[in-house]
Amino acid sequence: MKEEVKVLLVDDEKLVLRSIEKSLLRAGFDVEAVNDVTAALALFEAAMASDAPFDIAVLDLNMPNFAGYVDPTAGLQLLSKLLEVQPGFPVVVLTAFDEVERAKDAVRRGARAYFVKGREADLIALVERILAD
Amino acid sequence: MDKSSLAERRAALLHAGAHVSRSITSILDPDTLLHRTVDIICIAFGFYYAGVFLIDETGEWAVLRAGRGEAGAAMVAEGHKLQVGGQSMIGAATAHNKALIALDVGDEPVHLKNKYLPLTRSEMALPLVVGAGAETRVIGALSVQSEEEEAFTEDDITALQAMADQLAVAIHNARLYSENERLLAQATRRARLLMAAADVGKGVTSILDLDELLHKMVDIICDAYGFYYAGVFLLDETRAWAVLRAGRGEAGTAMVAQGHKLEVGGQSMIGAAIAQRQARIALDVGEEAVFFKNPYLPMTRSEMALPLVVGEEVIGAVTVQSEQEAAFSDEDISSLQAMADQLAVALHNAHLLRELELAHAELVRTKTFEAVATATTEAIHWIGNKALPIAVSVQRLREDVARLPGEDAEIVESIHEDLMLIEASAQLIAQVKEHLIGPAREYIPAPVMIEDVVRDTVRVMDIAPEIIHFTVTPDLPLGVADATQLRRAFRYVLQNALEATEDLESPRIDVEIDLVQEKGARYVVTRIADNGPGVADANLDKIWVSFYTTRGAKHAGLGLPACLQILKQIDGKAVARKRPEGGMVFELYVPAHTGAAPHGPANLPAGKQFLLVDDDDVWSRFVERTLAAAQNVVTRVGDVGAVTDFDVFDILIVDDVLATTDSLAVLQRIARAGAAAKTLVVASSVRVERMMDLLRFGVRDVQPKPYTAAALAEKLN
Repeated sequence: MKEEVKVLLVDDEKLVLRSIEKSLLRAGFDVEAVNDVTAALALFEAAMASDAPFDIAVLDLNMPNFAGYVDPTAGLQLLSKLLEVQPGFPVVVLTAFDEVERAKDAVRRGARAYFVKGREADLIALVERILAD
Repeated sequence: MDKSSLAERRAALLHAGAHVSRSITSILDPDTLLHRTVDIICIAFGFYYAGVFLIDETGEWAVLRAGRGEAGAAMVAEGHKLQVGGQSMIGAATAHNKALIALDVGDEPVHLKNKYLPLTRSEMALPLVVGAGAETRVIGALSVQSEEEEAFTEDDITALQAMADQLAVAIHNARLYSENERLLAQATRRARLLMAAADVGKGVTSILDLDELLHKMVDIICDAYGFYYAGVFLLDETRAWAVLRAGRGEAGTAMVAQGHKLEVGGQSMIGAAIAQRQARIALDVGEEAVFFKNPYLPMTRSEMALPLVVGEEVIGAVTVQSEQEAAFSDEDISSLQAMADQLAVALHNAHLLRELELAHAELVRTKTFEAVATATTEAIHWIGNKALPIAVSVQRLREDVARLPGEDAEIVESIHEDLMLIEASAQLIAQVKEHLIGPAREYIPAPVMIEDVVRDTVRVMDIAPEIIHFTVTPDLPLGVADATQLRRAFRYVLQNALEATEDLESPRIDVEIDLVQEKGARYVVTRIADNGPGVADANLDKIWVSFYTTRGAKHAGLGLPACLQILKQIDGKAVARKRPEGGMVFELYVPAHTGAAPHGPANLPAGKQFLLVDDDDVWSRFVERTLAAAQNVVTRVGDVGAVTDFDVFDILIVDDVLATTDSLAVLQRIARAGAAAKTLVVASSVRVERMMDLLRFGVRDVQPKPYTAAALAEKLN
């Protein structure tokens, strides 16, 4: 168990959210899973102010934004807010869209990596590599 | 003659003159007037012969227009005429406006013997005069002849001249009446033509259906002008043929039904009128060299072909035909040409309207397709996302099953089989999602080297060199496409060829890259041919249809439709056909780049040392040549195993697709040598996961391959 590693997981797709959560839990991570950006930001801010801050976040891109509307950049907006709270915080952006420009945009905005959904085993390796760096 | 006899004769002459005058003034037809006049004169006065001469249009000849009896008829028939001012009495009378008498014709110097009137002994010529004073005009002369010598006296002249004056007025009036009749008929015809023109004008503005307009036009022409046949020809798409689109009556209907057409510039009048952009008129079709006898219109004697011109463009021609020779007056021709001009504009407008309707229909189809595609994409995206956890769940279940204590081998085997079925179904859903959404993903068309994209695709697919054979036309232009999408299209077709040949002892795939020109556009075409079993003729059209497959349930039948979609997206096309020797050939058309030459001027770095890690191929040769031309030194290697010192190089360029090694291994060595930050990775197709793998080594960037000097400069600066 990697209980010392705390992961914030955000995705509005409940089945996907639960599936990734299960994979991360099995890999030994301590996972907080939420399905909207507002709740995620609140949770993040609260955790960062506590003695149990998050170590890494895994965010979906395409989900309802802070205004509640489905927005393909909602994950990027949350990314920006997390980095405002904690500059340099490691974030993996997760989406079903296999688009190079979107990936580059996420990296330009400060994401450590961009990951296409559906291959959780690779995701766990990626998270471990980022945390190791 | 005593005074009493003289008075009686004068009275008789005056009476006869009055009778003649009364009789002739009511006759309005000129010919009837003249013939009745000569009869009445002879009967009333008892003369042997009378004839009326009228001066012709030249003013030089007095032409016999009516003569008494057979002699008169014969002379009129042979066009008997006497010169004004000539030797004859008529000639003298008309020239000098003076009555002449010859009491013995043998003594009269200006009398010419007439074979038709051998018995004439006395003759009188009376000028026919109209007007008065300065307006006096001699219009002809009256000849009166007698078998008796000295038959006329000077007094007779007075009596008969009065009658001749009445006759002249009557002739003048009859001519005026006739002219008025002609003018009235002309005015009536003009009114009818104006009405026809108005009908055409009305039709032009109110009839929007092209066929209805054309049929109305031919009916109006025939009805208003009284012509036997009219037809409208329009040029076909090739502009080499004029096709009959509407024709009058049964003949027209039959010819339209059989697709009657005439070659532009050919032997027909229509063909000549269109080619020369001017009206052709044959007043006697037998004499017209370019008239082509038409079995449907055997009665045609006159034909007119009027070009339909809009601006500088000829769009067709109108034919008008008559059963009469010389049927067309100048007025007909000018009014019909005006009508044809009006029709041409109407046709042009109708054509524009039809094009607008077609464009609108196409827009509606496109919008409908877009809406359907958007809905489908969203649905597939949704389904695909929902299915994403399946594969991961299956993997977790496998792990759980392996840890079950005291498992029943039979049940475990059954669970594994079910997991395998679930996993296969999830993969199929993911595959469908990828095929449907993939081509719709972001695409950025740019100049691409087709050969490089095809060869990279072949390398990534790991197709054995002994199977695939290339034939590439030298100096091909670049194509314009999104290289990532294009590689996806090539992969679909190559995969198709691989599967078609997988059971063969000697599978073979031939790739031919060539330049073709079609309808003024240039394409770089890639032909991918296989020696597989081919596709049945009945299925040839279906292979581009989504979800159609001949390869069993493991295929979604979406690869070729996706390929077609990718090519259509860039205004290219995909064609499949069977090879005569067996197997299939797929032709993928990519529009050729028409911009600046690939080696054109660019703001490239100069005086640098480059290490290019790539195979010796068309793209690496382009980069070497381009950078060397900018005064750089380029060292090319297929692998970096032999490179001992990376510090000597200013910039490293690594092709993601290498024939002999994996670029990840190359980057690992470069990273270890501390040269990653000055390394640019290029790929003909960049996928996110691959890009993340490449970026992991800390390289400067991962970029789509540049295929022009300008694009190369942009990547390097």
